[in-house]
Amino acid sequence: MDLVADVITVEHLTVAFPAKEGTGEVVRDVSLAIGAGERVGLVGESGSGKSLTARAIMRLIPQPGRVTNGTVLFDGAELGANSAPTKWRGTKIAMITQDPLSSLNPLVKIGTQITEMLRYHRRLSRTEARGKAEELLRSVGIPDPRRTMTRYPAVLSGGMRQRVALAIAISCEPRLLIADEPTTALDVTVQAQVLTLLERMTAEHGSAVLLISHDLGVVGNFCDRLLVMYAGRIVESGPTATVIGAPAHPYTRALLSSIPSLRGELPDRLASIPGSPPHGGGKASGCAFAPRCPLAREVCRQTDPALLKISDLRTVPADSHQAACHALGDENWNQAA
Amino acid sequence: MTDPAHVQSRPDEQTAAAPPVVDVRDLRVHFKVHRGLFGSQLVKAVDGVSFSIAAGETLGLAGESGSGKSTVARTLVRINRPTDGSVLLSGAETARLSGQELRAYRRRMQMVYQDPYDSLDPKMTIKDAIGEGLTVRGVPRARRKSEVEELLARVNLPVALAGRYPGQLSGGQRQRVSIARALAVSPEVIVCDEAVAALDVSIRAQVLNLLKDIQADAGVSYLFISHDLSTLRFMADRIAIMYVGRLVEYGTSEQVFAAPAHPYTQALIAAVPDIAALGGPRPAPLPGEPPNPASPPPGCAFHPRCPLAVELCRTVAPPLVRKANGQLAACHVVPDAPEVAR
Repeated sequence: MDLVADVITVEHLTVAFPAKEGTGEVVRDVSLAIGAGERVGLVGESGSGKSLTARAIMRLIPQPGRVTNGTVLFDGAELGANSAPTKWRGTKIAMITQDPLSSLNPLVKIGTQITEMLRYHRRLSRTEARGKAEELLRSVGIPDPRRTMTRYPAVLSGGMRQRVALAIAISCEPRLLIADEPTTALDVTVQAQVLTLLERMTAEHGSAVLLISHDLGVVGNFCDRLLVMYAGRIVESGPTATVIGAPAHPYTRALLSSIPSLRGELPDRLASIPGSPPHGGGKASGCAFAPRCPLAREVCRQTDPALLKISDLRTVPADSHQAACHALGDENWNQAA
Repeated sequence: MTDPAHVQSRPDEQTAAAPPVVDVRDLRVHFKVHRGLFGSQLVKAVDGVSFSIAAGETLGLAGESGSGKSTVARTLVRINRPTDGSVLLSGAETARLSGQELRAYRRRMQMVYQDPYDSLDPKMTIKDAIGEGLTVRGVPRARRKSEVEELLARVNLPVALAGRYPGQLSGGQRQRVSIARALAVSPEVIVCDEAVAALDVSIRAQVLNLLKDIQADAGVSYLFISHDLSTLRFMADRIAIMYVGRLVEYGTSEQVFAAPAHPYTQALIAAVPDIAALGGPRPAPLPGEPPNPASPPPGCAFHPRCPLAVELCRTVAPPLVRKANGQLAACHVVPDAPEVAR
């Protein structure tokens, strides 16, 4: 991967919470890179560490958790521990969350919340900022921006609030936008509007996007590349079409076949994964998916498989498809099991 | 009310002999909402909805927020009282039951909620929560333990969990407990209101399969409410689509998904990001948002968002009638079935 073109590079990121048993590592050895204008999806179930990965990048890990290992490089340079987050949060990296009601200040009018950003970060005058704010709100499809600016977040609908949050997030033209489950709380027709808008706005500004979701359909339709997380680790990564069309990891495969579809043959039963995902970090040894995996063998319970390139094992065109599974490319795996 | 909807409310002719287990006719649920000191406003959460569910059948009810789908569910289990209309259970009118009769009715109609953490008493062990239902059914104390174990086995939970509290279980396990609890009274109908929405993707398939197995075993009917159309396609024999208190489309699952008649249903299906349709062209999203049910637009409530809207749609609400492609839909523009075919 060309490091120079990458907006953000995360290497060996590990986040841990104090735990009575196990390592307490809720994010383990996560590495990822996102190039300018690229849209990358981070998929996983609850407790997989996808949101904490994003929060670690934003340096918003809640207490008593902490980053125990790893680096986050922005444009190739470390966001040093001594540079105040206000210098880059919002301007270089912006974030929108599932429910903007919790990220917008409920006691401050919408207009003030947007102009605040513009005046502080872009040093616009009061009148300039108001004009720019109106323009931003109009561009995210808010019908009457001037009136909306005088209102409070609580009186807007969920879809409108998410538009406002997006307007604030892009107001300083961030190089990276992190969207954490931005459409989960929205109706499906409104979700389609917000995703289309997110696509258009980030394309206009050339922002890279890290889209976090539990919904494979949402990330699959929106992203160029996917990262699949399970129990704090990235277990598979690659171009969207490859990960969804030819998944390599047993977890990704099982997940895809357990989702009912609107098209095609209707199965009598859905393929399901036994058990439930672990919470509060993985175990000290072995593959975290082994207890639920149909292919698991002794080695899986003892050693955690490394994330390996799999292009040389299968006829996958791209060289960036990776998965962490002992069974990969082992011809005799199924017979011996 | 002479709503044509309830005259011909069934997309499939019922096999004449057995009446449907649930037969809802022209159901209306209105709420008075107080505004300011003296003002009040009538919210028509459900406004003239008719449907039926046969024994062992699943009716899927879909709609966005504010469509009234949860109010329909809550009215069926009588958390809310119907304002008007009738709810027939195995042919008997139940809309105005109270007291002892209502308790008996609730035994036959159970509900599984979205979040089992809210619906299970956190201070009650699993065996007590399930045992409560058995008491209601009049199972003698001596048999209770073995019946609880039987119910746990039926929802694929280990018997060892019987002494635990809801907080000690995972989300999927808790939802299985709510299902076991609903089954404890041997109901004829189970209303599932977003029953898998709060579960992780890998757990959802387990619970959906379980619900299907239980139906195959016990012949129970489901009213399955979900905003997720792909889940409904898997679960339901027939589908009803709601928009602001009314049904806009009603037909067999096959008809509705293969050839949706109403423009809203079409938009809803198109808006689902489906992994099977990856890389295909994305349709332009439907503009606007579902209206506030307290002040729905006049005429057809969908007209401000509808690509097909004509002048008539702004003033007159269209009736639910049979359309050319077989199912019932409420739209002025979509052509009706020829008279003979009705």
